[in-house]
Order: sequence, then structure tokens, then C-alpha cells
Amino acid sequence: MKVHIKHWSAVAQWRWNTGNTAHDQDDEGDVCGICRVPYEGCCPSCKMPGDDCPLIWGECSHVFHMHCLLKWLGTAASKQQCPMDRRAWVTAERKANDPSSTTVS
Amino acid sequence: MASSAVRAQVAAKWQESFNRLNRNEPGISGLLAFSEAWTLATEFLRPRDLNDPTPRKQYDLNQVRVAFGVIGECRRLPVMMEVFLEDMRKSQHLITREVEVHMALYESNSDPESIRTLVYRLVEWYDTWKPTTDLGSTIISAYTLAFQTHLFSVLPPSFARGIKALISATLERIICQSQDPQDRVLWQAFDTLSLIDRYETLIASIGYEIIESHVKETCAGKWAEPMLGTLRTWMIDKIVPWMLYPFARGATNADEAKTMMQGVGSRFDFHMHKTLCTLRTNEMFDIIVDFPDSTGALQDLKECLARVDQRADLVHALRRAINKRLLHPGADTKDILTQYVSTIKCLRIVDPPGVLLFKVADPIRRYLRDRPDTIRCIVASLVGDGESEDSLVDENEPIQPLQQPEMENYSDPDWNPEPIDAGPDFRASKSSDIISTIVSIYDTKDLFVKELQVLLAQRLLAVKDGNIDRERRNVEILKIRFGEAALQVCEVMLRDMTDSRRIDQHVQSQKASQMHPTIISRHFWPALESSDMVMPGQFQILQEQYAKEFSVFKPDKVLRWLPHLGRVHLQLELDDRTLEADVPPLEAAFIELFSENDIWTVDELVLRVGSVTRTAAIKALATWVDMHVLKEDSEGVFRLLNVAEGPTPESRPQILKPVAGELPPVMSVQQQQAEQMKIYWKFIEGMLTNLGSLPLDRIQTMLKFAPGYDRTVEQLGGFMEAARREGLVSVKDGMWRLGK
Repeated sequence: MKVHIKHWSAVAQWRWNTGNTAHDQDDEGDVCGICRVPYEGCCPSCKMPGDDCPLIWGECSHVFHMHCLLKWLGTAASKQQCPMDRRAWVTAERKANDPSSTTVS
Repeated sequence: MASSAVRAQVAAKWQESFNRLNRNEPGISGLLAFSEAWTLATEFLRPRDLNDPTPRKQYDLNQVRVAFGVIGECRRLPVMMEVFLEDMRKSQHLITREVEVHMALYESNSDPESIRTLVYRLVEWYDTWKPTTDLGSTIISAYTLAFQTHLFSVLPPSFARGIKALISATLERIICQSQDPQDRVLWQAFDTLSLIDRYETLIASIGYEIIESHVKETCAGKWAEPMLGTLRTWMIDKIVPWMLYPFARGATNADEAKTMMQGVGSRFDFHMHKTLCTLRTNEMFDIIVDFPDSTGALQDLKECLARVDQRADLVHALRRAINKRLLHPGADTKDILTQYVSTIKCLRIVDPPGVLLFKVADPIRRYLRDRPDTIRCIVASLVGDGESEDSLVDENEPIQPLQQPEMENYSDPDWNPEPIDAGPDFRASKSSDIISTIVSIYDTKDLFVKELQVLLAQRLLAVKDGNIDRERRNVEILKIRFGEAALQVCEVMLRDMTDSRRIDQHVQSQKASQMHPTIISRHFWPALESSDMVMPGQFQILQEQYAKEFSVFKPDKVLRWLPHLGRVHLQLELDDRTLEADVPPLEAAFIELFSENDIWTVDELVLRVGSVTRTAAIKALATWVDMHVLKEDSEGVFRLLNVAEGPTPESRPQILKPVAGELPPVMSVQQQQAEQMKIYWKFIEGMLTNLGSLPLDRIQTMLKFAPGYDRTVEQLGGFMEAARREGLVSVKDGMWRLGK
């Protein structure tokens, strides 16, 4: 017998590829260190998640909602430091993971 | 003894009396003339028997008048009247007999016509005995009184019944437009005997009854048009002409008649309203069911309630009907809601301030609050689930935000106090918005938004052609009602849908795939049951390919599949046939595995796809069995039918059994009993082998020695009958034996 798939309306969830595979398996997901909202949610000033409210990666390996971090950096108290480890904030180049490993089935 | 003074006084009196009678005529000629006149007059007045065949003596009326004149001159008229009344009293037995004869006739045949004859006859008597009008009204009224007093004393109770029938007949004739000139005569006769005054309540009751029956006849079950107008016309056309006879007799012109009938007329009018009101009150539940085709009835009811104080009755009757017919476990929540909405609409018409509604709605609202699926139903109807034509929401109604109960504004110049029958906890709902009213069943609208989200999720995931315009429209409508913020989540869900399509278009353009996934933002969709199912074979390849393309398109995102959701459209190419199927993923996964291998056990299959329950697995397999793609060879072992096989009769039920219940496969009570009976069959078989043929109760008696046997003879009989159908035993004259 041969099975031909004609059409498959599947359902999937998207996740930010934080490079943290343990996080991918974790159902709860990580939260932004500033607003405590999950990465896949959106920061308090946004209404739409995803591309409208992207993440930002730091060289220090910390990840935040971009809007949250920019707001933080905008304040004088931040001294342009990462709020988690107080190192100077340097936005990392997007880590291009090996695409084959991004699939979680 | 007597003194001379006394004697002189008597003599004077005598002389005076004599002079009065003799009227100063010479000698005693005056006395004689008086005597003659007296004789003539009393003779003339004496009541005579109508049945007396001798013709009535003819009197010269002039002579009689002269005679009355003489008597009057002598001031003897009062005496004559007394004599006349005495005479009449003596003749009263004639009347009594007349009444008895006719009433006996009436009682034997119940024909109101005999009453009519009686009435006419009585009038005849009355007229015959009546003194001439020359004697003045005093004597006539005295006579009339005496006559009537006697008459009423002898009329039996059944006369009331008779006269009622007679009068009803006159009314019916008027209603049928067949005016009978006789009726006028009859009413005059009633009047002469002053029966109308005596039976006034009875006559009125005829009016009430006819109104009642007419209202019931014409209005019951007719709710489309307002009936009050028609009824009023009917009253004017039919009842008023009839009322003229008893209630406006002696009226010389229309105005006078109007004044005379005012009292009774308004009573009749009131009665009409009351009857209609009672009728509608009792029909109220069905009127509400029929709404909006019953608007007429509601307008009537409103008008009636303004005249008749039956609001409490209406509330009571409606509450009782609702309790009996609606608020029970057998009623669908949807039906209850529909009825509730209709009730709101109906009672708004009947009673705009909403007091009635408040009183009636309270039990419904309390009941709905306790039902688990109320919210789901409301939400389904809010978005209009398409299946039901009569949505709770009126399409024409403007969509408006939910209204919050507002405080009374006492500085409002149009402020009115609450209606008098409003209870202490009455809250006037000024809004006419049905949805607000329904949503206010619950204290918070959050529940609705949650439920809405779930419903939207289900519907979005079920969308096949990617057309979500309908859902978008619904969300927009609901935004107006519940506010933008509450529905933000739904907005995200909708955007996920459009984004998914956009992404899919891009991915397809890069590398065509049969896969068209919906990519959702978690945290914004209601919790979807998670599953660790693994799609086998080409499905997994497809998933991986797609995920790869996705990651190329969106480098910072990855996909996480929810493999148990969605639908797969498949084409199966078997040795002798090709078939297409639209199935859930689990089914697709199984059939994919069958393309590797023709025979699988359920356990092996479950192992391959990961965590699915055995029940779900069996259900999925049953789908294929139903399509005759698989066959359950033995329990838990399925084989692919590369070549179609006709379903064998016994195989089908075996397979379907575990499918029937979602619960873990537990044997039913009947199955268990049948299993036990197999043990006892051994005993029976032994018995019949050793003893030949046995009657049923012998078998039962012997089986009772077997341990744990607790069947009744009937159950045993049923079992033996089943065994006979299988050809194991046969029965003849109540004796069972083995074999044919």
C-alpha cells in the first residue's frame, strides 16, 4: 500500500530560537528578565507577539524583549549595563544556529 | 248598661255612615244605588279563571265607570280595593296551578319554549285581573305588588334555569343576526311581570358567559393580531343591541339609553378584558415561544393589564409554566436561553418598566447560572454558530457595548419612582440590549471572554480553506460589546492565522510541501492539550522539511509541532482500489505504519507513535476498519486489507464494541453475565447428557447446587433460548434436550 499525503493542515507553535535547547523542551518557557513575561508573549507596551515584539540578545548571553531592554537602556540608572549581570550591554550578532537542530518534533 | 251618651254617639255615627252612603238621596234610594254600584264593581273586578270556558260577561264600561264613581263618592274605594285583593288572593291557586303545569312540562322536556308560554300566560292572567286604570295608580300598583309577590313565591328554582335558557336564546339570535320580533314581545312580557328586575344578576351572568365563551372561542391560540379591537366591535354589534332590552327599557332616545347602560356596559367591558387577560395569562408561555409571531397577543395583554389588575397572576402563572416546562434537566440550555430572550422581548412589550420581567426572569437567571454549559451556549450564539437560524441576537439590533447597571439619577427631570409592584431588590434595566441582560446573568464578563477564546480557537483550527473573514467579523462585533482590551487575545489569534498563511505562501514558494500548518503564538491561545505523539515515516520528513524552511524564513524562530491537532487528507493506494480520506493525524500516522507492515498489534502501534492512550488508538483504528481498510483479525491485531474483503457479520460488532465507549475497555454487565453463564453451560450440558430431557425448573433446581448460581428461572429461560438458537439444545413440550 502507498500512502499519499494530499494536504496536511497541521498545527505548530513558534518559539524564539534562544539557542537554549533545554528551554525548547520546557513547556513553561523562559521569561524576559525585565518584564517577567514569557519571550513568546509580548512586552507590556506591545499588543502583538512575535515579529512586532522581538527579542534582543546580549553578548553576555542574556535575552530580553527588545522594547524592554531599550527602555531600560534609556534610563539614566542603567549606565548601559545589562540588568542581569551589570556588564556593559553589547548587542550580540544574531546567533545563527544550525538550522537542522532547530526542529523540535 | 250603655249610657245614653254612648247610644247617642253610636246613633250619630250610624247616621253619618248612612248619610255618606245615601248621599242625601231621598229615602234609601242612594243606599240602593250604592249597593248596585258595589255589586257591579266588585263583580267587574273579581279575578276570573282564564280556563273558564264561559264567555266573559260584557260590561258596559260607562256603567262600570259610573259605579266606580258612586263608590268613590261614598269614599268606599279603599274597602273595595281590599275586597278585590282578597278576591284575588282567593284566586291565586289558579296562578299556582298554571305555573305548576308549565314548570312540570319544562322539567320534563327542558324546552325553554314552555317557559315562554308560561310567561305569556302569566302576562295574560295579569292583564285580565288588572283593575282598570280609572281606579288610579295606587290600586294598580297594589295589585301588581300582590300579583308579583304571589308569583315569585310560587315560581320554582328551575324557573331561573328556564328563563336563563330563554334569554340566552334571544342573545344568540341577536348574535346570529336573525332578529325575531317575538323577542321584543317577550322582553315586554318580562317587564310587565318585572322579571327583569328580579333576575337582573342572572341576565347579567348570561352576558358574562357569552362574552367569556366568545373570547375563548375567537382568541384562544390566535396571537398574531390584536384581538381587542375586534372584540370591542363585536360587543357593540352584538351585545349592546341585546342589552337595550333588559338594561335600557323605557329609554326614549339614544342618549338616555346610553346613560342607563353605562353601569352594566362598563361591567361587561371589564369582563371582556378580564377574560382575555386570563386567557392570555394562561397562554403566556406559548405566546413567548411563538414570539415574534405573537405580537398581537402581547399588545392585547398590555392593554388588558392596564384595565384589569392581574399582573401578579401573570407573574405567577408564567413562573409556574416556566418552572414546569423549561427549567428542568430535559431542556436544552440553548432552548432555555432562546426562551429567556423571547421572554425579555415579550415582557418588554407588555410592561416597559420591566417589573414583570424582573420577577419572571429571576428564576430563569438563577437556573441558568447553575448550568455548566450556559456560557458556552451564550458565546456560541454571540458569534452565531451558523447552524441555528434563530440566533439569540437580533441581526437588526444595533451592536452596542455592554451596559453597566447605572445609578439612579434623581436630578433627572424625567425621573419616575419605581412602579408600585416592584420589589425591594428590583433593578430597573433601562437598557433594551438583550446581550447585556444575558451577560449580566454572571457577575463578571471574564468568563465570557475565556469561553469566547476557546470557541474561537476551535473554530480557527477547524478552518480549512484559510478563510477567516467570518471569525474576524465576529471578533470585531464582540469587540464593540466587550471592549477592545478584553479581546486583544483573540486579535492575536486572528493575526496568527493570517501570518500562518503568509508564511506558508513563502515556504511553498521556496519548496512546495503538502503541509500547510497553522503557526500559533502560545500564551495567546487557550491551553491546547499537549501530546508527545510522534508522526512516523513521511509525515516526520515533511515536518522536518517544513521546519527547516521556516527557520530559513524566520531565522530567530523555531517550530514546535502539535502533531495531534489538525487534519490530513490522504490518498491510499491499495492493490485493488484507491481511496481518499480526510482524517485526524493519529489515524494518518497509523495507516502510514501499515504501509511498512501489513499486520500490527495495537500495542506495537502505540509504541511507535508515542504517547497515545489505548482507547484513542483503538478508536483511530476503528475509523479505518469502518472504511474497510483494516480488519481486526483477533483482539488487538489488525491487518491491512490490501484486497477488499466483505465484512463478515460477526467481526463488525466485535470491533465496534471498544469504540462505543471512550472509557477504558471494561466489560459490560451483560458481557460479564454471559461469561459466567458459559460456566453453567457445562453443568447443563452434563445434566442433559446424563438425564436426557429435562424441564426448565428441574434444570434451575439442579443448577442451584452449583456454587455462586444466582439466576432466576426467567434468566435461565433466556439463556436456554439463546442456546437453542445456536442449535445446542432443542425444546419440545417444555422439555429441553441436547442437540437438534
